Parts: sequence; structure tokens; C-alpha cells
Amino acid sequence: MFKRFRSLFRVLTRRREFEDGMSEELRFHFEQYTDDLVRSGVSPEKAARLARRELGSSINIKADCREAFGVHLFDEFRRQLSYAARLLRKTPGFTATALLTLAVCLGANLTIFAVIDSVLLRPLPFPEPDRLMTIFNTYPKAGVERDGSSLTNYYERRGHISAFTSLAIYRYGTEIIGEAGSTEREQTMRVSPDFFATLRLAPVIGRTFTEEETTSQTDHVAILSDTFWRQRYNADPNVIGRQIRVNSVPRTVIGVLPPAFHFLSSDARLFLPLASRAEDRTPLQRHAGGNVTQMIARLKPDATLTQAQSQIDAQNATLEADDPQAKMIADAGFRSIVVSLHADHVAAIRPTLLLLQAGAIALLLIGAVNLVNLLLVRASGRVKELAVRQALGASRGYVVSEVVVETTLLTLVGGLLGLAVGAGGIHLLRVLGADRLPLGSRIVFDARFALVALVAAIILGIVFAVPIAWFNLRRHLGNALQSESRGGTSGRAAQILRHSFIVSQIALAFMLLAGAGLLALSLQRAMAVSPGFQSDHILTGQILLPWADYPDAARLTFIESLTDKIGHLPGVLSVGVVNNVPFSGNTGKSAATVMGHVLRPGESPRGHYSYGVEGDYFRAMGFSLRAGRFLTAADSRRAERVCVVDEDFARYYWPNTSAIGQRLWDGSEQGKDSEAFTVVGVVGGVKQAGLTEDEAQGAIYYPYVFRIGDSVFVAVRTSLPPESLGLALQQAVRQIDPDIPVNDLRSMETRIVDSLVARRSPALLAGLFSGIALLLTAIGTYGVLSYAVAQRRREIGLRMALGAQPAQIRSQFLYLSLRLLAGGVILGVIGAWLSGQAMQAVLFHVPAFNLAILAGAVFVMALMSLVACLLPSQRAARISPMETLAE
Amino acid sequence: MGKTAELLPGTLDMLILKAVSLKPLHGYGVLLRIQQISRDALEIPQGSLYPALYRLEHHDLIAAEWGQSENNRRAKYYTLTAAGRRRLRDETAGWNRLASAIAAALSTTSEEV
Repeated sequence: MFKRFRSLFRVLTRRREFEDGMSEELRFHFEQYTDDLVRSGVSPEKAARLARRELGSSINIKADCREAFGVHLFDEFRRQLSYAARLLRKTPGFTATALLTLAVCLGANLTIFAVIDSVLLRPLPFPEPDRLMTIFNTYPKAGVERDGSSLTNYYERRGHISAFTSLAIYRYGTEIIGEAGSTEREQTMRVSPDFFATLRLAPVIGRTFTEEETTSQTDHVAILSDTFWRQRYNADPNVIGRQIRVNSVPRTVIGVLPPAFHFLSSDARLFLPLASRAEDRTPLQRHAGGNVTQMIARLKPDATLTQAQSQIDAQNATLEADDPQAKMIADAGFRSIVVSLHADHVAAIRPTLLLLQAGAIALLLIGAVNLVNLLLVRASGRVKELAVRQALGASRGYVVSEVVVETTLLTLVGGLLGLAVGAGGIHLLRVLGADRLPLGSRIVFDARFALVALVAAIILGIVFAVPIAWFNLRRHLGNALQSESRGGTSGRAAQILRHSFIVSQIALAFMLLAGAGLLALSLQRAMAVSPGFQSDHILTGQILLPWADYPDAARLTFIESLTDKIGHLPGVLSVGVVNNVPFSGNTGKSAATVMGHVLRPGESPRGHYSYGVEGDYFRAMGFSLRAGRFLTAADSRRAERVCVVDEDFARYYWPNTSAIGQRLWDGSEQGKDSEAFTVVGVVGGVKQAGLTEDEAQGAIYYPYVFRIGDSVFVAVRTSLPPESLGLALQQAVRQIDPDIPVNDLRSMETRIVDSLVARRSPALLAGLFSGIALLLTAIGTYGVLSYAVAQRRREIGLRMALGAQPAQIRSQFLYLSLRLLAGGVILGVIGAWLSGQAMQAVLFHVPAFNLAILAGAVFVMALMSLVACLLPSQRAARISPMETLAE
Repeated sequence: MGKTAELLPGTLDMLILKAVSLKPLHGYGVLLRIQQISRDALEIPQGSLYPALYRLEHHDLIAAEWGQSENNRRAKYYTLTAAGRRRLRDETAGWNRLASAIAAALSTTSEEV
């Protein structure tokens, strides 16, 4: 079999040679035979005649020879191809519409598919990636859905969960790299020694971290990513053992990772051991994960997720048995959840992506229905030609293959254009923020993409061919020759088919329109939410303070001189510092214990947003003061411990009394009396994680010294456009310490706008899709109505000759389009309601059934129908009875 | 010319394979060789010779190569391939079995029944 393909392929690639050889061989035969006849005494003329008769027609012989190789099929195919191309060229309007439709619909699907492929489908780049899990702690009753894993969790689980081959923890970070005077900021990861073994990707040069390297005194080692190694060390193979300064402490390079190493969406280029002290690993710290530290694990080949989960549950139960906080933890609904690492990483974006793909598929359906309708209309224009050809002997197979060739040619060219649209679409998605999606940087335009387009185009071509071929073969020859030649109406079945296509098109477009409306309304409602502070005219930036240069006391000094310096810049109204500004993207909640508050039965302890603030933070952010006073710069240096809470916190704990003067401890236990903080002020509630955050968890603001962290955010209120202050802010920091950069410099308004990208981009795309859908449906409706008018010219002419008024004719077609509209809208409303239900996960405060949106969609669809039927009905009304009857 | 017989369907392929098994031949040569080895008893329709040759070539039973003819003209020469040799052997055996069976059947006399 294979040999025969090879021989056919050889002939096809050297077709010229094949044809020439055939002619030469036959000529040789003819001449040799003639010569032999002449030699045997026949006259040359008679010999030639005899030879020609004996051999037969060389055209027939050649055809038989071609058939012997199977070449004839390709000749036929080529003939059909050029015929199809000629037909398509003859109707440029139809061809352009069809190609454009295909390009847009396939392009939209390819674009969304590229995202789905890279985010949801393509496995993580590690061996047996489906066995990689993540484990996180959850305290749902305390309002903390996710809290990472703690160091204690790691040391307690390591080696004790038999369903896992290995288990590791990691922490994302940012570090200052390089010698004083030429430092740079790098994304880093701090990982436990078994991190690389769990992922099963080891360094290509050097080694991984050892157990001895996990204390703060012994952790002076680093592993480089491939890009870091190439850029910083010029791919030096002898890099092992060289020194690199990280946060002004020298570390020894011990390994280089392979180029393919990409952990989830991390850009980390430098890997450091996750060092900790013995007291960080004690049972007391078991619930101190705080979402900073995350755990991964690899399932054993024969173990299941369920087994792992029950082993973790069992271990948790044993450990909690002698935990002093056991009751509180249990009340908070504590559990440790095991989930697939990949699924967990993309869980938030999954519904949105699936929704968009559904939208794109709906668009493709509309486009496809449109094309089938246009093709059917076209086919009915060629019924007579086909009937004649069938009468002259064209086989059914030939008629079918002709249709398939034509539709596939159309869809293949459309698919090619769709690839271009898809490439543009991916670019558009980048602009809309797709590479900030989890795993979004993997979105590429590659060969897989082209293959998908090719396969989709061929499938579409064959799908399109089915109704057309059915239409072409269905009618009896005689019928076709008679009925269409007299300009009678088309077959009833074909008409019903065309009309139901339009109805389904209108329904789909209606669903898209309503869906886009729901997304837009949800975005609008999210944007209308007040962040709780005056977000205009604030510039914010993150400053990372290395612990080696800035131990506890030095941090406060640095911050004080920074706020002093910035406060004196022209245009600055107030300046403050906080561990974490709202909308920074990282939030963590922690527990507080209110003096005198006894947990009511069924009440669980709550996690609150807890911050350390310094300088004039509240005024800089435009918080509103409800009672008491704001914290001031002096509070960090005073012996008396004070704090400020927000109104949600105050309302929860002291619903009937004033919060001022109340006392609380930072942490989940009652401390000494001297360690309690006195509430000196109540501020307005603020959206911390995002505008769509629904649950008011309450927030506590401590003086900065009581809540020291790796980095601080500086917030500056200015009378100038906030971005214009960026350079001055960076200079102010550099004047204090030239090695400290300012990161993530954005105005507060930009942060808020950026936080909505996951709502805005899908709404924009859905809007775009429904716009295209509307256009396609208009084209479809227009096409079918025009066809109906053209077909009934004779009938209309006759009726007008008998006295019908143009207005009657016009309203007849208006009525037809209204009927189609009504059918489509009824189905569309049902569909919109169902899809609204399915969309609940991505909607914010928008019910599935929103009357205003449905009414708006009905209005838009009605307008579209009206516009689409205006021209054809006008044309019908202007038909001249004389002309049509004379035809 | 003596009496000629019509070719049975399917026998042309066998004869071509036999002809080229003796010596590489061009198409016209195959015709002459079949006439020669059948002692002019078989009438080969010249028009079906070439499609048959092409079919056999396509099925890899014979191989074609361009060469020089006796009178120094370019001609396409066919040789038997290994697969063709096997096929010829099988078909010859099959044919002989068939022919002797039919001959035996036809020579049966009434006494033997």
C-alpha cells in the first residue's frame, strides 16, 4: 500500500516527465510497428494506417495508463478546483462576504483557543505534571478562604504523608542583586531543598540545596535560572562557586537550571534556600502561613488525590489534638485542601475563558449558518445548470465531490485569513492584558495553532458541503428543469431550512448580545463601587528594604527620613507608609484578639486585614475619620500602644458602644496587659483586595514598628498629576540609599483600573463578538430576504398588475422579517436566561435575568432586522409588473 | 499466420511478467516476445498493453528504466522485480493447476464416470 502511494507521489511530483515518457513510449511503439510492417512489404501509407488502427487512440491509452497510477483522480480534482475557483471569482460579492465571515469567526475562535490551550490545556512543563499537587490551609468560617501553608506544616508533613513521593514549600520574593552602586531588582523564589526534586527538574550544572542550607546562618547559596546565567554570566560553564551579592550579602552560586524551567507564572530568575529558625517551625506557628508560603507535592504513581487528602486530614486531626488553639482553629472551619497544582493555578480564570470560548463558538455557528444559507441561495441559482449536467451524465459522486471541493476551497482560504486574524487577535489580547493571566506568557502563535486552523477549515468545508450536496441531489431532474425555468417558488423544505437558519442565527446573536450586556453591566456595577477612600491624586510605590542593611530599628529611621524628605517635595500634600496598599495584589489576613470579647456559640474567630502604618498614611490615602484620631508618625516611638480600626471592625465587636478606648491584642491569643493596643480612632471601611470584594472583614492599623515586613509601600498625596511625581520620589529614595529601587510605581487610580482587567477585557471581547454577530445576522437576514424577493418577482409583478399596492408588498416582507425576528428573540431570551445562569460565577451583582438588558437586546435586534429588510422590501415594492411579466 | 486465440481475462498480466522475466524489454518488445513465445497463437490487443504495463509498474511487479533500443533510439525498458518474480511463480503454478484440472475434466470419458 505504502509503495503504491510512493509511486503515485513520484508521478505527481514529476508529472511532466510522466506525460512526456508516455507520449515517447507510444510514438516509439507506433514507429517500430510501422517500420516492421514496411519491412514485411506493406506500403508506408498503408502501414501507418494499419498501425494506427491496431494501437487505437493514443488519447484513450494515455487515459487508461493514468488511471493505472491513480493520477486521473488528481486531474479531476484539479479540474474541479479550477472550476470552483472560477465560480468563486465570478461572484466576488459572495466570495468576499464568505471569506470575511470565515476569517473573523475562525480568527476569534483561534484567538480564544490559543489562550485556553496555553492556560488550561497544555500541561505544566515538568515530568508527569498531572501528579503535581498543591496543599493550602483554609479557615472559611473566619473569612479566610485561602492561607497557603506554614513552615510548620511542611516540617510536620515531610516524609509522613505516604501518598506523596515528595513535598516542598516555596515563597515568591524580590531581592536586590549586585554590588553597591550597581544594584538591580530581581524576582526570586525561596524554596525548600526538595522543591526541584518534587518538580523532577534538577539543575543542569551543579546541585540543588541541601538540608544544611536551610538556616539563616548557612543559606548563603543560590541557584540561577538559565536566562540569568546567560545574561549575567555570559553562560560561563565555570559559574559554580562564584559569588553573587543578594540584598548586600554574598552568596555562592551552586547550580544553573535548565532553559525549560518555568514554575507556573513566576518570572523568578534566582532561587534561594527557604531558610528559617527553629522557632518558625514549632506547632505554635502551624497556622502562620499567611498566603506567603505555598506547598507543592508529587503524588506517588499509584496514589490518588483522595488518598492524599484523607492522609492530610488524618494527620491534621492527630496534630490538632494537643494544640492549645485547637478549639479556635476548629471553629474557624480549618482544613488543608489538596488540589492539582495546574487546576488550582488557573481556577480563577477558568470560567471566564470557557465563557469566552462559548461566545466564540456561538459566533462561529452564526457565521456557519450564514454561509450555509448563502451557499444554499447560490445553489438554487444553479439548479438548472446542475440538472443539465446530471442529465448529460455527471455522476452523483462527481456532483458531491464538486461541492466538497468548492466549500473546502472556500473554508481553507477563509482559514488562512482566519490565521492572520488570530495572530492579530493574540496581539489584541496582549494589549488587553492576556499575558498577565496565569500561564498567560505561554500564549504563542505556533504550528499547533496553524494545524488547528487547518483541521477546523477542512471540517467546516465538509460540514458546509452536506446541505448543499443534499440540495443538489435531492430534486428530480425533470422537476428542476421545469419549475425553476418558470421562476416558480423554491421547494418548501429549502425555504423552511433557510428560515429556521435565520431564526437560530437571531437567537444566537441575541444570546451573545445579552451576555455581553450582562458582562458590561457587571463591570459598570464593579466600577461604581467606591473604594472607600479618595483614590485620585495618589502615587504609590513599593520599596524593598534588605534586612541585612536595615534591621528592625534602622527600618523605622529609614522610613522617617523618607517621609520627611518626600513631605518637603513641591506639590506633595501628605505622605505615608504602609506594609501593603489596597489593590496591590497581595493581601493577607491575620487574627486579633479583642479584650473582653467572648466568642458566641457558633461564632468563629475572624481574620482581619492588619497593617503597620507610618507618617501621615490616612491623610495621604484620603481615608475618612469616623471617630477619634488618625495614627501619627509619633505613635511608633511612643511607649503607649495604640491602633486604629475601621468601621467594619468596630461595628462587629462593639455594635452598641464606642470603639475608642477599647483594647485588643495582635494575634490569636490574649497577651499581657502591657502588650494590648488601645483603639484611638475609627476610620471608614476600605476595599482591600478589589472593588468586588463583598465581605467586609475589618481592618486594623498598627504603628509601623509593630508590623515590620520585608517591604513597604509609600503613598503620596499630591496636587500635581500623580505620575509626574515618580522621578522625584525615586530620587528621594536614592538620596537616602542609592542601592534601593522603587518598584511598582503606580497611581492609586491606575491600581484600581488594573484590578478590573479580569472584568473589563472579557466584557470588551464579548462586546466585540456580539457586534460581529449582529453584523453577520444582518447580512444573513438581508441575503435571505433579497433571495425571497428575487424569487417571487413574477408573483409580485402579477399581484401588482392585479392591483396590489407597493405598500402591501412592502409590508408583506416586513411581516416576514418580523416573524423571523420574533422566533429568534423568543429562543434567544430562553438561551440568554440559561447562559446568564451559567455566567453567574463571573458576574458581579447582576442577576441572570435582567429586564433592561433583555429589552435593550430586543431593541437592537429589531433595529438590525428592520435595517436588513428595508432594502429588499423596498426593491420588492418597486418591481414593475410590465417588466416581470414580459420576462 | 495460423489460428489465433482470444486472451482470457487476467492472462495478459501473466504473459507480460513472463516476457520480461526472460530479458528486459521495451513495450513493443513485450508484444513481439509474447507473440514469439506463444508461437503467434495469441492475439494481443495493442491498446491494452500499455495500461497493463503501467498497472504492473505501479504495483511494483515490474520496474521501468529508460535505455537505448537496438536501432539507437530512446526506449523504456521493463524488468521483473523480486515481487514480480514471486507473482509470476504463483500465477504460473495457479494456471497450471487450473489448466490440468480443466484438461482432466474435459478428457473424461463416459467409462470413467
